[in-house]
Amino acid sequence: MKKKLLSMVLVGLMATGLVACGSSAGSGSDGGGSESASGKTIRLVNGKIEVDSQLKKLAEMYEKETGTHVEIESMGGGIDIQGELKAYYQSDNMPDIFVCGGEADFNNWDGLLQDMSDQKWVSDTDAAFTNSDGTVGFPYTTEAIGLAYNADILEKAGVDPASITGPESMAKAFETIDSKKDELGLTAVIGYFAEPVNLYWSTGNHLFGTYLDEGLDRDDTTYIDMLNDGGKLDDKRFAAFADMAELFNKYSDQSLLVSGTYDQQILNFASGKYAFVTQGSWIGATITGDDADAYKEAGSFKCGMIPYAFEEGIDTILTNSPSWWAVYKDGNVAEAEAFLQWMSEADAQEVLVKEAGFISPYKSCTVVADDPFAQTITDYTSAGKTSAWHWLGMTDGYAQNYVGQVFADFASGSLDKDGFIKTFKQVTEAAYAQ
Amino acid sequence: MAMGNKQKPLSIALLALGLLSLIVALALDFTGSDSVFRGELLVIGAIIFLGGLYLYPTQKHHKKIINFIFLFPLLFCFAVTVVIPFGLGLFYSTTDWNGIRMTQFVGLKNYAAMFTEVSFLWSLILTVLFVIINMIAVNVIGLALAVLCTSNIKFVDFFRAAYFIPNLIGGIVLGYIWQFVFNNVVLSWTLKYFDYNSSMLSKYNTAFLAIVVVYIWQYAGYIMMIYITGLTTVPTDVVEAASIDGATAVQTFFKIKFPMIASTITICTFLTLQSAFKQFDVNMALTNGTGSVTFMDQYLTNGSQMLALNIYNTAITKNNYAMGQAKAVLFFIILSIVSIIQVRVSNKREVEM
Repeated sequence: MKKKLLSMVLVGLMATGLVACGSSAGSGSDGGGSESASGKTIRLVNGKIEVDSQLKKLAEMYEKETGTHVEIESMGGGIDIQGELKAYYQSDNMPDIFVCGGEADFNNWDGLLQDMSDQKWVSDTDAAFTNSDGTVGFPYTTEAIGLAYNADILEKAGVDPASITGPESMAKAFETIDSKKDELGLTAVIGYFAEPVNLYWSTGNHLFGTYLDEGLDRDDTTYIDMLNDGGKLDDKRFAAFADMAELFNKYSDQSLLVSGTYDQQILNFASGKYAFVTQGSWIGATITGDDADAYKEAGSFKCGMIPYAFEEGIDTILTNSPSWWAVYKDGNVAEAEAFLQWMSEADAQEVLVKEAGFISPYKSCTVVADDPFAQTITDYTSAGKTSAWHWLGMTDGYAQNYVGQVFADFASGSLDKDGFIKTFKQVTEAAYAQ
Repeated sequence: MAMGNKQKPLSIALLALGLLSLIVALALDFTGSDSVFRGELLVIGAIIFLGGLYLYPTQKHHKKIINFIFLFPLLFCFAVTVVIPFGLGLFYSTTDWNGIRMTQFVGLKNYAAMFTEVSFLWSLILTVLFVIINMIAVNVIGLALAVLCTSNIKFVDFFRAAYFIPNLIGGIVLGYIWQFVFNNVVLSWTLKYFDYNSSMLSKYNTAFLAIVVVYIWQYAGYIMMIYITGLTTVPTDVVEAASIDGATAVQTFFKIKFPMIASTITICTFLTLQSAFKQFDVNMALTNGTGSVTFMDQYLTNGSQMLALNIYNTAITKNNYAMGQAKAVLFFIILSIVSIIQVRVSNKREVEM
């Protein structure tokens, strides 16, 4: 009898244990759902981990104002966000708002995203992402790709950035600066890194993006259409682009050219060791943030951007919303839309611009950032000298699995210029053959 | 049987109740209901069902029922975490699934396509090469370290711990640490002595070598621990007898100890074989598969990409989940063949011993 009692007690314990586990697991996965049903919680997956703390601050402000709790989940640093989101989708754990980086991403979620064309913010911006489903992408910042320069060094070297209008003037400017390297305290003329493991996006997406768009009107899709038509490249334009890449290889920091990291690249630029750097406006936040000490020591120099003028007459820089926030259709749509509307308004924009270093895509926003590149971008935008980012529409994994490596091989010298062009074409066709 | 008569209706009632709650719980789940109770309902239903099964009055099948009840939790976990996902994987590998939805069945097209994909064949060959090199290198070095750490040198415990520690560091962390070493320290040497500006990680052949080195560094200590266990189980009287007979240390090792630890060698060989085959984290952190190579007249950009990483990349970065799944099925088949051989061989040895 005693034995039986003991066994019953044990069974009871096991059962409560199981039920307890079950309920905690249940509330874990259902908590969001049940709470959001009462309209109190929304979840946002953010793809810019560098502005995590600013977004959390905004979420707090929003909760104070409206009582809706916004959970910020930041991903970045090499995580494939789309892959992670798919896992969330499979496990029925979708966030209400999540980041999408371009056409391929939006196509994946085709039919699952909320059309926000009835929202107030839509009329306040030109940067929203629109496709056959309607307005599905909320823009939150503007970024620019151009050849960033250290204005102080260029001035000391006697090079006027406005004089660089084509390949010859660019080569001449590089040569001039190179000859005065020692007196200017430079390690190299240009901080161009073609490392294929962690920086493939810099070469494969951004630099190659200049081939697709430099000098074109914002809605001109000539070269991206060619590329997406089975991976075709324009021979003449690409040869000019290859010349520029060759020039960068020659004047770059040889010890870091194929092995350097993003951090080293930005730190060296911020310390005044490079006159140019092949990164876009987002480095402004790093220069004034993580690398603030080095930047101050180097004299808090002025920064600017010139077009990647690989053909004579190219006079635009590439600006775009780098990614958008989309609202999941089966999530808490009303609350999510209300939050996004609030994000586009003055209070939130002030935090985003002043603290996160964003350049607002909203016309009503009057706050100007003290980011080193803000002025340049404003100048180009008001002069109408901007092109779009059509590289966002390239095939999946194009930079990471295909061309990033070709840039690295060109940089390390295992491919010459002709080899680079030939291989680039071959690899591009292979990427599009899938 | 008097008790049985009373028990039977109770048992049937419990069985019915349990089954009903199981069905309701599953139905709630499939219809996407937000009911928070469906998890509890499922567990309670299963317990009631098993209770009913236990109380069912039968002499003939009682033992089987008890066995089933005891095995149930394990079988359930195995089904949920292995059998069902595997079945789903097989299913998805015959579709055009992209991780979100599928539009059509493609039959065995993914399987056919994967063998015409030169970059995949390269990964396959590279992996086999990696396995062979490591199976030999890790075991030789591991055994050498084990001999060192069972000898009479000073600070033996310190060495044992020191060799084992790399194994305690996660592969990703280790990969990044070594990436720093290769990209900064080794590069500055090659630049200074050979005027060679590329890092070891930028060429596929040197990158492969780098992965091998890091893998040995990580895994040899672990294998060493197993060899130490093997070496300490060699009876001292045999070793003593050998030394009385005038055998040198080398002779003692090759003629006495080595045959005595044959079973340990089998275990270690298969352990390294399996783990080298599944190499993923160090590969990803160190080179992420980069490095260019010309193979079968094609320029490939995945010169240092092993099989597991190839599968991951196909699914995640190339957004082709169905193809990744098909490759994973092949990966599974290869690994299970290896495992079956391993079990066979070790069983045979145990009989011999």
